[in-house]
Amino acid sequence: MNKVAIVSTGQTKFSKNEDDVEKILFESASNCIQLANNCDSKDIEGVLVSTNNNSKYLGAILSETIGIQPKISHSIEHLCSSGTNALISAYAYISSGLSDIILVSGAESATNPGQVLEWDKSRGNFEHPIYWGSMFTKSYKRKFQTTEEELAIVSAKNHKQAMDNPFAYSNEPRTVLEVMNSKQITDDLRILDCSRSCSGSSSILLASEEKAKTFSDQPIWIKGIGQKTTSASFTKNILGEIESTRIAADLAYKMAKVESKNIDVAEVHDAFSVCELMAISELGITSNDKSGEFVRNLFNTENRMINPRGGLIGAGHALGATGISQTIEIANQLQGKSDKRQISNAKTGLIHNMSAAGTSSSIMVLEN
Amino acid sequence: MTFFEDQLEKGIFQICHCKNCNNTIWPPKEICHICHNKTDWKKSTNLGKIIEFSKKESMYFGLIEIDEGIRVLGDISSRLIPEIGQSVKMSVSFNSKPHYSFTVENN
Repeated sequence: MNKVAIVSTGQTKFSKNEDDVEKILFESASNCIQLANNCDSKDIEGVLVSTNNNSKYLGAILSETIGIQPKISHSIEHLCSSGTNALISAYAYISSGLSDIILVSGAESATNPGQVLEWDKSRGNFEHPIYWGSMFTKSYKRKFQTTEEELAIVSAKNHKQAMDNPFAYSNEPRTVLEVMNSKQITDDLRILDCSRSCSGSSSILLASEEKAKTFSDQPIWIKGIGQKTTSASFTKNILGEIESTRIAADLAYKMAKVESKNIDVAEVHDAFSVCELMAISELGITSNDKSGEFVRNLFNTENRMINPRGGLIGAGHALGATGISQTIEIANQLQGKSDKRQISNAKTGLIHNMSAAGTSSSIMVLEN
Repeated sequence: MTFFEDQLEKGIFQICHCKNCNNTIWPPKEICHICHNKTDWKKSTNLGKIIEFSKKESMYFGLIEIDEGIRVLGDISSRLIPEIGQSVKMSVSFNSKPHYSFTVENN
C-alpha cells in the first residue's frame, strides 16, 4: 500500500450564516489549493465532497468550479462523520494506487437535514439529538457518578480553547458556573452542554508519498484508520458505552502500531459534554470512572491535549466539514503551526468522529 | 404508509417476526435479513420496562424495552419520579411519525 499524507488544508469560519454550500466549498477548496506548494489545480485527480446537504452532484460541481476535470469525483454522506469517511475513502484511492492526489472538501449549511435520522422509527417523536444526548448523560452519571460540574468543565474548557481558534463559531469564554446555570433543555442537558449546528467548510489535499514532498515541506502521514458501525438505530446502543468507538480505536491503534498512551493530542466528537468523557474513555486515554477528574485536571492546568480547537461545543458543528476540520487541527498541531493552541512536541495525534449517537465511529491516527 | 405505521395509527404496535428462524425483526421489514423469507406479524403485549429516563419541562421521556427486547423512545406518564426497571403500559399512535406513550403501572 502507498503511504498517504496531508499536504495542504483550507477552512472557512464556522457560523450561523445561511451560506450557500457551493460557495463555501469553493472558498475552503481554493484556500487549500493556494496554500499547497507548487500545486496547479489540474494536478488534482480526485474531488470528494462530504456533506448532508440536499444539493446534488457536488463533487462534479466543485470540480467544475475550481476548473478541473478529475478522474474521480463524488459526494459522501454519513451524517456527522461524513468528513472523516470522505478522508478515509480518499486514503483508499491513493493507497491502492488508483490516484495520487485527491482534494477532500466538506461543507454544511446551518439548517441542514443531517441532524434528524427519519429512518430511525424507534426514536418515535423524540427525533432530535437532545433526546439521545439526555439518555447518554443520565446513564453515564448514574453508572460512573459523574457530577454536573464535571460535565460543565468539558464545555467551559472547549469554549475557552475555541477562543484561540480563528475558525470557531464561539469566541466567547464560558465559566463552569455559566455552563451550569445556562438554559435547561432537559433535566440532564443544559444549552451549553450541546454542540450547535453550523455553516462552514473545510478542505484537505491528500497525496501519495511520491507526490507529497512536491506539495508540502511538512507532510503529515495518515498512519492508522479504524471504522466501525454497530447499527443505525439509536435504541440498539448499550447506554453508557460507545462500542463503535472502542472497536474503531483498537483497529486504528493496531494499524498505526501505537497505543493510547502514545497519543499527544486528540480531537474527539463532543456532540454533547458527556460524549467527550465517553470518547476519551473508549479511546483508552483514561477510564470511565476517572474521565471527569481527567478533564478537570486538563482544565485546571490549561492542558489542551483534548479538543485544542474547541471541539464541536466550542468550534461549532458543520456536520460534513467537522471531521475535516478536526483532522486539520491535528495536522497543524503535528506541524507545530497551532499558535496559541500548540501542544509542545506533538508527534502522534488522533481524530475521533462519530455519527447518530455513536452508532458509527471513524478514527484516524496521524504522525509527523 | 407501511403496514406497521397503519397499525400504529389504529393504536396497535405490531411486532415483525420471522416464523422460519424465530427471530424478531426491528425495525420491521417485509423480508427476514437472515433467511430472506417473508416476515409475519404479532401484536405487542403493550407491556415494557424503563431502561432510562429524563424530563423535558413537565414531561418525562425515556428509553423503554417492550416485547422481544425491542427498545423505543417515548413519553412516560407518572405521578412520581419514574424508576429504572419499572413496569409500564404502552399506547401508540401515528401522526406523520410514530408516537409511543407509556404509563407507569400501579402509580
